[in-house]
Amino acid sequence: MKLAALSEQFYSLVSPDIPNEWDVEEVMEPFIETNDKVCEVILEHIPVIWPVSHSLCYDFLRQAPEALKHLSLEQLPHWVGVALDIYENDGLRTAQRFMQDGVENHLSRLKGSGGLALASVEKRLLPYIRGIARDELQIVPARETYTDTSTLYAPEEINLFHNNEQNFLLYKLIFTYQWGYIACGSFLARAPEGFPLFSNREDSLWLRAFLDSFTNPPLARDIYHLLESIRVKIFLHKELPGLMRAVSKLPFPLDLPLPMKNKANLFFASIQQGLTGDKTDLYTLLQPHLTPSECQRFLHGEATPQDSARLVPRLYSTLHNKDQDYIPFPPLPFQGRLKLRSVETARKVQKEKMGEQFVDLMAAHFLTLSQEKLKNILKDEERDSGGSGLAESDVSMIMDSEFAQTADQDKAAPLLVTINNEELEFPPELESFTRKFLDEFGQLPTRFITSAAGKAGEGMLRGDVGGQEEGEQQSTGTVVYDEWDYRRQGYRKNWCSLQLKELPQVHSPFIRNTLDKYHGLTLRLRHQFEMMRSQERFVKRQREGDDIDFDALVESLSDTQAGLPSSDRLFIRLKQDERDIAVLFLVDMSNSTSGWVNTALKESLVLMSEAMEVLGDRYGIYGFSGMRRSRCELFHVKHLTESYGERVKERISSIGPSEYTRMGPPIRHATRLLQEVDAKVRLIITLTDGKPEDYDDYKGDYAIEDTRHALLEAKVAGIHPFCITIDHQAHDYMEHMYGPANYIFVDNVRKLPLRMPEIYRTLTS
Amino acid sequence: MKTVEQRLEEHLITAEPYYLVSGTEIEIALSAYKNGLPLLLKGPTGCGKTRFMQYLAWKLQRPLITVSCHDDLSTSDLVGRYLIRSGEAVWIDGPLTLAVRAGAICYLDEIVEARKDTTVVIHPLADDRRELPVEKLGELLTAPPEFMISVSYNPGYQSVLKDLKPSTRQRFVAISFDYPLPDQEVEIVCQEGGVEKELAHSLVKLAGMTRSLKESGLAEGASTRLLIQAGKLTQDGIDIHTACRVAIIEPLSDDPELLAALQEMVSSIF
Ligand SMILES: Nc1ncnc2c1ncn2[C@@H]1O[C@H](COP(=O)(O)OP(=O)(O)OP(=O)(O)O)[C@@H](O)[C@H]1O
Ligand SMILES: [Mg+2]
Repeated sequence: MKLAALSEQFYSLVSPDIPNEWDVEEVMEPFIETNDKVCEVILEHIPVIWPVSHSLCYDFLRQAPEALKHLSLEQLPHWVGVALDIYENDGLRTAQRFMQDGVENHLSRLKGSGGLALASVEKRLLPYIRGIARDELQIVPARETYTDTSTLYAPEEINLFHNNEQNFLLYKLIFTYQWGYIACGSFLARAPEGFPLFSNREDSLWLRAFLDSFTNPPLARDIYHLLESIRVKIFLHKELPGLMRAVSKLPFPLDLPLPMKNKANLFFASIQQGLTGDKTDLYTLLQPHLTPSECQRFLHGEATPQDSARLVPRLYSTLHNKDQDYIPFPPLPFQGRLKLRSVETARKVQKEKMGEQFVDLMAAHFLTLSQEKLKNILKDEERDSGGSGLAESDVSMIMDSEFAQTADQDKAAPLLVTINNEELEFPPELESFTRKFLDEFGQLPTRFITSAAGKAGEGMLRGDVGGQEEGEQQSTGTVVYDEWDYRRQGYRKNWCSLQLKELPQVHSPFIRNTLDKYHGLTLRLRHQFEMMRSQERFVKRQREGDDIDFDALVESLSDTQAGLPSSDRLFIRLKQDERDIAVLFLVDMSNSTSGWVNTALKESLVLMSEAMEVLGDRYGIYGFSGMRRSRCELFHVKHLTESYGERVKERISSIGPSEYTRMGPPIRHATRLLQEVDAKVRLIITLTDGKPEDYDDYKGDYAIEDTRHALLEAKVAGIHPFCITIDHQAHDYMEHMYGPANYIFVDNVRKLPLRMPEIYRTLTS
Repeated sequence: MKTVEQRLEEHLITAEPYYLVSGTEIEIALSAYKNGLPLLLKGPTGCGKTRFMQYLAWKLQRPLITVSCHDDLSTSDLVGRYLIRSGEAVWIDGPLTLAVRAGAICYLDEIVEARKDTTVVIHPLADDRRELPVEKLGELLTAPPEFMISVSYNPGYQSVLKDLKPSTRQRFVAISFDYPLPDQEVEIVCQEGGVEKELAHSLVKLAGMTRSLKESGLAEGASTRLLIQAGKLTQDGIDIHTACRVAIIEPLSDDPELLAALQEMVSSIF
């Protein structure tokens, strides 16, 4: 490409900026010979880097040709990403240095794709770390290792060691170490005595303000982080000696990539050595920098985050060099980075989440109060009922003065809140939740209580008008269910609202026609099902059997003594009897079932019902459909205990295609229904025509994972889920979703009426 | 008609059983006993319910008659039945009747496992009537003040989901058991498993970790009992990693991923 063309492209990429012509030409010149494809890829990065830093962008262009001798085009974006991260964390100089020196180093990390992928160890390490932490932590791949206290971030792949066992161990160490910072309170250091408090806004960390107050915050931050790493190491040695023993054998490459001329680097390099070595090393290494008593505190695990904070100014003053830039020393892989902003954000999110839960619990508690008390609490809302919700000032609420501090103080003192002069005592669940909240965040913002009051007020209102709506829609209630979000391996609380509805009864010849059509099959089914009506049971007074019937024997003996002819029915026999099965059929009523599928579904239900009547198993039938999480629908056709009469038949006839297939809520509801049933075997049989899918983001993996989880919940509740899918071919996701042997697919819909009873028969005998 | 004398002494607990008190459970139980109220013990498996009953029986110096409930348990299994002895029909008291007659403590373990028609026989015994009708004998026994009935169940068992009927439930003084606090559990594991404090401490730590895996699919974590068993194995020279695997990890789950994660915990701790 001509230089003019290249420059022109550059200008258009950075517009409206108009950089100096010479600079542009200087950096673009080397690309004249480069082939267009490569140019294109390189230029693509300009709009990414330019807005972040112009100098870095020029540097990138200067270094790119050299870098591309080592990197493939595909690796380029990753390299740029790392450079940008470094820039954001440690400033321009370091990023430039990375671009100049780092290609080989960077490569050595990327190369040899024989590394270990996080994805392949996550299944094992997620429950591991959750157990260790006793907390629902998440694991997420990232370019850097760090934690925001609710998620642990680690590189997507590790190939520091040649051997994947060692790479695995490093992953394990990374997660454990990052949890260690959380467990040791590294992020929540409070101001040691005599230290400035800074303006401590709600949700902002003292530590961040403190470290930012130095002229060179990265240096202060790294000092603190290193001291905390020592504390974590000591803590882990005590807590998880097995791990630390194994880790001490890891051959960490302690190559020193950066020039060691400055004091700070020497300091970091030497202490890092101590972090990978054993305690005595650490002592010798710390000695030049700490007083003996400080060393003791750290090495005996008595130091607190405040101790580390207290040491920062002193170490900083010896390590800081005005005439020389501080070039951050790369942390050890398991140390990762200290990212206090992420911690602040995560804690805010966590606080809101717990706040919401609190509001739900509290609102529920409000609604259990007597009408009078509740009215009293909510009286302010009624006054200006025009507005929705309460303003904080609307409610005169006096928090028990100790309320905010009870966490540290007397755990046994009951929590008390006073709202509008009404004293409220917390029930145990609410109380323990509140304490958890106080432990975590120090105090409970009053806004949560006011919004709970608001919510309870709405609830009361809704309760009042509920009666008038009747008749318009045959809704028989709404139930709220959580939904599983596999991306965060946790539930979205109260995510779906499932409306329970009645199907209209329609008079139609459908049932009669079906029975005519399948006359022969029905008879055969009835016969087959009759044969299944059995389970093991002891029957008494038999002529022969497995055991003696003592009651009968006694009677017979007394009879003999009384001179009466005695009976010879003196045995107990194990007999097949009493099937104790309850089953719910969930029928997909999504739009895609229109046409033949719908007819086949209904016909199958008719035949099933006929057969089930002979068998005597309890069964229920529900249809499901809906749109979005706010309106999932479950249609009642037949309750478990309802008899198979005209009404049920008419409702079966009126099953028709409706909207979408959100499978989670109906399965969860069926699970709940069956949990209330006392039966030896409880089954949920889902009839559907394909993947779960809703109008909103309930699609693909998300939908499959939620369905799978709903089925798992059923299994945990001791219920067997089974799925019959009408599809042309079996798909991989089915086995994943239902588990092997828990589903069957029927490729010819016309065979369904025949197959379904067959399937049920094999399932339950 | 004859009735068979049954030996009660064997149900009497002579040596003080080791029981570490965790709260006010003893006071409550003693007061319930004094007032003739039945006890309901709930809690996860292996957390000391049975041991507590043994201790209580010892403290009260009453025989303890334990019945493990199952779904084939019939009323006659509890109340009694006729047997034939040398051509003669003799009546044998069931454990419940025996306990009533002798003023003993009758402990129905895992009561939810029994069918509901069986559990109703304890109804008249468990309210202020304190009576047991023995229909086949045509007798109505009134329990002496020394008699006590107590039942236990594990509300965490999701697979069973048979719940107690409210009419059964609402007759009892309920004491809720949970795993002991860490320090106490350490002491129990030392005592019962015969291990050093340090090892007990690590075992308890492991148990704590397994108990927080509900979301990951482990309905119930390792019980105190499992820790004790692991401790005992190590006393016989079995290496701690193996002991944990066979006595704690494997009994908890069959899921390979979960087992692997649990195994990682073990290798971290020990
Ligand atoms: N508080 C305690 N004091 C002494 N030993 C205890 C205590 N708690 C538990 N144990 C020990 O744990 C073991 C298991 O307890 P126990 O058999 O009483 O459990 P359980 O609650 O009856 O369990 P399950 O419901 O499975 O029958 C006991 O053998 C005992 O060694
Ligand atoms: Mg027991």
